[in-house]
Amino acid sequence: MRKTLLVGLLLTTVLVLGFALAMPAAAQDRWDGADDLPVSPLECPAMDGEMAATDEPAAMEAPEYDGGQAVNAPDLAGQDIVLVDVPKLVGIGYFAATTLGEQQAAEELGNVTVTTDAPTEANIDDQIAVIDNYITQGVNGILFAANDPVAIAPVLRRALEAGIHVVGYDANSEPDAREWFVNQAEFNGIAKAMVDSMVAEIGDAGSFAIVTSTFTTPNQARWIAEMQAYQEKCYPGMTWLETVEAQEDNQLSFNQATTLLNKYGPDVDGLFAMTSVATPAAAEAVTQAGLCSVDSASAAAPSAEEAVAVVGLATPNAMKPYVNDSCVKSVVLWNPIDLGYAAVYVMRAVVDGEFGPGDTTVEAGRLGTLTVVNGSEVLLGPPFIYTAENINDFDF
Amino acid sequence: MAASSHPIEERQGSSPLTNILLRQEVILFLILILAVTLLALSSDKFLTVSNILNQGRLLTEIGLVALPMTFIIITGGIDLSVGSILGVCAIVLGYMWNPSGPFQLPLEAAIIVSLALGTLCGLVNGLIIVYIGVPPLITTLATLALYRGLAEGISQARSVRGYPEWFFQLGQGEVLGVPTQLWVLVFFVIVTAIILSRTVFGRSLYAIGNNELGARFSGIPTGLYKIIIYAFSGFMSGMAAWIFVSRVTTTRSDMGSGLELDAIAAVVLGGTSIFGGTGSIVGTVIGFVLIQLLKNGLSLAGVTTDGTIVVIGTVLILAILINNFIQRRTNAA
Repeated sequence: MRKTLLVGLLLTTVLVLGFALAMPAAAQDRWDGADDLPVSPLECPAMDGEMAATDEPAAMEAPEYDGGQAVNAPDLAGQDIVLVDVPKLVGIGYFAATTLGEQQAAEELGNVTVTTDAPTEANIDDQIAVIDNYITQGVNGILFAANDPVAIAPVLRRALEAGIHVVGYDANSEPDAREWFVNQAEFNGIAKAMVDSMVAEIGDAGSFAIVTSTFTTPNQARWIAEMQAYQEKCYPGMTWLETVEAQEDNQLSFNQATTLLNKYGPDVDGLFAMTSVATPAAAEAVTQAGLCSVDSASAAAPSAEEAVAVVGLATPNAMKPYVNDSCVKSVVLWNPIDLGYAAVYVMRAVVDGEFGPGDTTVEAGRLGTLTVVNGSEVLLGPPFIYTAENINDFDF
Repeated sequence: MAASSHPIEERQGSSPLTNILLRQEVILFLILILAVTLLALSSDKFLTVSNILNQGRLLTEIGLVALPMTFIIITGGIDLSVGSILGVCAIVLGYMWNPSGPFQLPLEAAIIVSLALGTLCGLVNGLIIVYIGVPPLITTLATLALYRGLAEGISQARSVRGYPEWFFQLGQGEVLGVPTQLWVLVFFVIVTAIILSRTVFGRSLYAIGNNELGARFSGIPTGLYKIIIYAFSGFMSGMAAWIFVSRVTTTRSDMGSGLELDAIAAVVLGGTSIFGGTGSIVGTVIGFVLIQLLKNGLSLAGVTTDGTIVVIGTVLILAILINNFIQRRTNAA
């Protein structure tokens, strides 16, 4: 009896300790992107007339190049090179699309071989081990999409020291651990596109919740921070209900979205989904709950009060059923094929010595000239919104 | 040690069991040699000193956790919560130290708090298993979720970075040309091997695994011993967390997820019976070395990661089949 009491006491201690530790952190409601960088919300759409151009912060000076350099890399200008591409994970549509773009670029260039290899789960440790093995094996260049910006940095630095060129895309590392990063879209641009699309559906006084991968995943955490800043600036009347983690897991995303719908009922007007896995899962959850805001012609349609809008980042193929049913009105993304394509062109330019510190533009085949932003990042372009009108033109 | 006068030890020593153990490890060792030879033939980058030492760096965390896991599985138990303990220890290490956090302890103190927390987590597992009588599988499945939840709750999405340079010595540095953490692993391998094979405590673990009731009536404090090994498992998960944070230079709440499966795979591949009663540290060491070298060697040979998982799964099944075959034959004899 006394022993049971002892166990109970111990368990309570652990729990209380845990919650006590968690308390001060839980009180913070500011989303900081898990990287302490400042947010820079874009201008609100012009419709509400009160836009004050005078508040516009002065355009920032272009920052210095802050990337790293491959040490004693062999001069392979114009020669055949072997690249390895290590995305966060393999087996999902999004990275299949970047791989496709890389293969297209490799075919066009004719002197590049790219192999894609990555863990089957988005796990930092496994990704590090994969890169480590390719350094040992010896490749000319590494393309990566980081599962964690800091954790991946030591192994990338080791690659640079071994004379291997390193270019990131999709998810960045610490700048000095790679030479360039192909930025698919600036964070504030995506945030603006997401929030504006949501407001178009639920109005500027609606309530919304967010399904994301994890709170520390570089892109997602940053987008959410920018979305918060933009929403507070432009649509202060909106209510932010909750943000939930769902890894990049199909079933978990569906469950989390369903839980949100049940928890808030008619109080939730919209769901943001931050990953290419979570968006179709959230759309499926809304469909199964019978909460699609379809055209009111149907008798079974939920009232506008109950309907839940879904806005998210996803690849078109996964979203076609929902967009064609008009359950989902807008899917925000860049073109991941172009992203992979650009990464290979940037790598080729680096190896050829045509693109280095101080340059402000780089030629990327069919994409034309891309500009350098934030010191050592190459910007792919503005985000792209897939709608019922254009989504069937894409196949990835 | 007075182990040789212990009844359990005598029973083990005089039975043909020891011979089988020996033979199992010999077979495993031969498989390892075969694998290394094949991998070395398929890539000239594989059998180099720098590559092998580098692999030592990568396998240390799994190795440290697999050692106490061997103890636990020998008693017929299991600990699924090790990956989550690693996660919560890593987070607490960073959280306690974080110069902009609420505690701002010196890093040395934060490490001690983290190790103590790991031990406490393991102790809680042991107490629930022994005093409440919940089966280890259920207990540690519950604490797997509980500790991971704590890690995520405490971290609140924040990763802690920017550790001082000396802290990276353990995870990224070298001592006498060998990765620092490999020395730590070697130390614990030797200690646990001696404990398991040369002490009353170690031999009692086999007795618990073979017949727990019998062991208790023979005067072995089975409850206490089980609590000790689960607490030890928690402590080692804390050690692994320390090394992991030092190696990857950041803390995240998802650290160590899936680690329990790698560790259990290494132990079972090493010939420890999942039903308890047999097993050895040498076998476990061969187990985790074999898995790591297969992962690395296949990758160097150009097999992609998904293909590698298939091969490792196949090797695991083969090893278990061989184990079963040997056991059945000796039982028949």
